[in-house]
Amino acid sequence: MIGTLSEILEQSLQRLATTAKTYVPPLLAALVIFVAAWLIATVVRAAFLRLTKTAWLDRFVVESGLSSLFGRNRPLETAPLVAGVIYWLILLVGLLTGLNAFNTALTTKMVEAVVFLLPKLAAAGLILLAGVWLAQYLARSALIWAVNENLPQPRRIAAAVRVLIVFVAVVVAADHLNFARTVFLAAFLLVVGGMVLAGSIALGLSAHEALKRRLAEPAHSGDGEEKSLWNHL
Amino acid sequence: MLTEEARRAVAQLKKADIVIGIPSYNNARTIGHVVRAAQAGLAKYFPQLSSVIINSDGGSRDGTQEAVLKASIEDPRLLLLNTPLLPVHKLSLPYHGIPGKGSAFRMIFAMARELGASACAVVDADLRSITPEWVDLLVRPVLHAGYDFVAPYYHRHKYDGTITNSIVYPLTRALYGLRVRQPIGGDFGIARRLFLRYLERNDWETDVARYGIDIWMTTIAIAEGYQVCQSFLGAKLHDAKDPAADLTAMLQQVVGSVFTLMREYEHVWRKVEGSRPVDLFGFRFDVGLDPVPVNLERMTKAFLTGYRELREIWSLALEKSNLEALAAVCRQAEQNPRGWRLPDDLWARIVMDFACAHRRMPVERTHLLRSLTPLYLGRVASFVMETETMISSEVEDRIEQLCLAFEAAKPYLLERWDSVGKSQTAPAQPAPVEVRT
Repeated sequence: MIGTLSEILEQSLQRLATTAKTYVPPLLAALVIFVAAWLIATVVRAAFLRLTKTAWLDRFVVESGLSSLFGRNRPLETAPLVAGVIYWLILLVGLLTGLNAFNTALTTKMVEAVVFLLPKLAAAGLILLAGVWLAQYLARSALIWAVNENLPQPRRIAAAVRVLIVFVAVVVAADHLNFARTVFLAAFLLVVGGMVLAGSIALGLSAHEALKRRLAEPAHSGDGEEKSLWNHL
Repeated sequence: MLTEEARRAVAQLKKADIVIGIPSYNNARTIGHVVRAAQAGLAKYFPQLSSVIINSDGGSRDGTQEAVLKASIEDPRLLLLNTPLLPVHKLSLPYHGIPGKGSAFRMIFAMARELGASACAVVDADLRSITPEWVDLLVRPVLHAGYDFVAPYYHRHKYDGTITNSIVYPLTRALYGLRVRQPIGGDFGIARRLFLRYLERNDWETDVARYGIDIWMTTIAIAEGYQVCQSFLGAKLHDAKDPAADLTAMLQQVVGSVFTLMREYEHVWRKVEGSRPVDLFGFRFDVGLDPVPVNLERMTKAFLTGYRELREIWSLALEKSNLEALAAVCRQAEQNPRGWRLPDDLWARIVMDFACAHRRMPVERTHLLRSLTPLYLGRVASFVMETETMISSEVEDRIEQLCLAFEAAKPYLLERWDSVGKSQTAPAQPAPVEVRT
C-alpha cells in the first residue's frame, strides 16, 4: 500500500518535474523576450520622440486633410502617434517571439494565425481609414453645396452622405477580412435598396407637383430676386 | 491649340495688326451691337491698320455666331471718314477645350500670334454700353504709348461688381501695390509681348480656362513688371449673367485664381508696401447707371446659415480671434438684421486667412473656396446697408477705406503666411453662438 502510494507520488513528482522541465525554461525565455521587447520598445519610442523630426509628416497630415479627420479642433501631432505604433509593433513582435519559445502546436498555431491575420487587419484598417477620410470629404462637399443651394437640413444631408460612405468602407473591410461577409453585404443591399425605394416614393408622391411646376416654368429661376444673389461679379 | 477652321482662317487672312476678341456664349441679343461698335472703332481710329474681329464662341445655341457674321455698320458715312478704309474682317469660330471664357481667350491670343498682331483687345459679348471709342481707348495706349496691358476703368452702379469691390480689387492692390480699379473688368488691351507670355504658360487648363482668366491676366501683367495703364470707358452696362451660372463656382474660380497666383508671385508681393496709382487714359465723365437690385434679407440669411452650418469648415482657415469676432458679428446680425456691420479690418483678415489656408491645405482648397460664398454675401449685405444712402463718389471713398484696411492688414498676412509649414496655429474652436434664421 505504502509502496503503491510512494510510487504514485514519485510518478506525479516526475511528471511535475518533466512538465516544469518542459515549460518553465520556455516560460522564462518568453518572459525574458517580452521584457526585452518592452525595454526595446520603450527606448525606441523615447528615441523616436527625441530624435526624429516629423514636421514633414505633420505637414502631410494637415495638407491631406487627415488632421481634421482625427481632431478637428486641434492639429494632429504625428510624432506620438507614429511612436505609439512602433512601440506596440515591437511589443507584438516580442509577444509572438515569446510564444514561439514554447514550441507547442497550440502556440505555433496562434503565432501563425496572428502573422497571417496581421497584414489583412492592416489592410482593413487602411480601407476603413480611407473610407472615413472620403466620407468626411464628401460630407463636407455635400454640406457646403446644401448650404449654398439653400436646401433645408444641410447637416442631415451631409450626415447621410457620411454614413453611407463609412458603411460602404465597413462592408469592404469586412469582406476583406472574410468576416460576416453575407451579413454586411445583405445589410448594405437592404440599406441602398431602401434608400432608392424611399427616394422614388418621395419623388413620386411629394416632389411630383413641385417638379412639374419647375419643369413648366424654366425661366422663373432667372427672374427677379433670384438674380440679385449672383449678379455681382 | 487652333482648330482646323481657325488655321484655315489664319491662312486666308495672313496678317492683321489689330485683333479684337469677343468671347461669347448665348449672347445673340447683344453681340451684334458689340461687333458693330468694334468695327466702327477700328474703322474710325485705326483706318490704315489691318484688323480682324474674332468671335470665339463656346457653342451658343441662340444664333450668336449668325449675329456676329450678320453685324455690319449700316451706313459708313456716319463715321465721317475721308481716308480710304482697309476692310475689317470678322470671324466667328468655336473654340475647343474646357468650356469657359479663358479657353475662348486662348484661341483669340493664338490667332493673334499667328496673324502677327501688334495689339489685341478683348471685350465682353454682353455689353450694352460699348462705343467705338472703347476700341481706341483699349488699343491706342498699346500701339502709341508703349503700354503692355490696358485695364478698363468704368463707372458702375454701387452694387455692381461686388466681387471686384469687396475682394479682388482690395486684395490685388494690397498685394502688388498697383491701383488697378477693375482687375476683372473683362475688357482689356494687350500688347503682343504680353499675350505671347500668356500663351507660353502652362496653367490654361485650370480655373484660368473659366472665370479666373481676367484676374490671371491682370496679375501676370502687374507681377511680371509689364507696363500697365487704365482707360476710362464710361459706364459698364451689360446683360445679366447667364442665369445658369453659379455664384459659388464664379467666386471659387476668381478667388481661387487670386490665391493660386499669390503662391506663384510670393517673391513679388512680399516686398510691396502700400500702393500707387496707375496711369489713366480717357476723359472722365459721370453717367447714369442701371440700378442693380439686391436682396438684403436673403444675403443676411445666407450669411447666418453659413455661420451656423459651415463654421467648422471656416475654423480650418480662420484665426481664433477672427472667428470670435465673426461670431460677434453674427450675433449682431441676428439681433438687428438691418443694422449690423462686418468691419473692414475683420473682412481683410478673413480673406487673408483663407488665402493662407488655401496654401496650407491643398486637399481642402475646394471646400474652403466654396464655403466662402456665405461670408462674401455677408460682406456684400453689410456693404449694401452701409452705402444705402450714399452717392457714387461716397461709395468710392468707402471702397478706398476698405483698400486701406487691406493694405494695413498686410503685415498680418505675412505673419500668417510665414507660419505655414512652421508651427501650425491651432484652428479655432468656434464660439457657441445660437443663430436662428
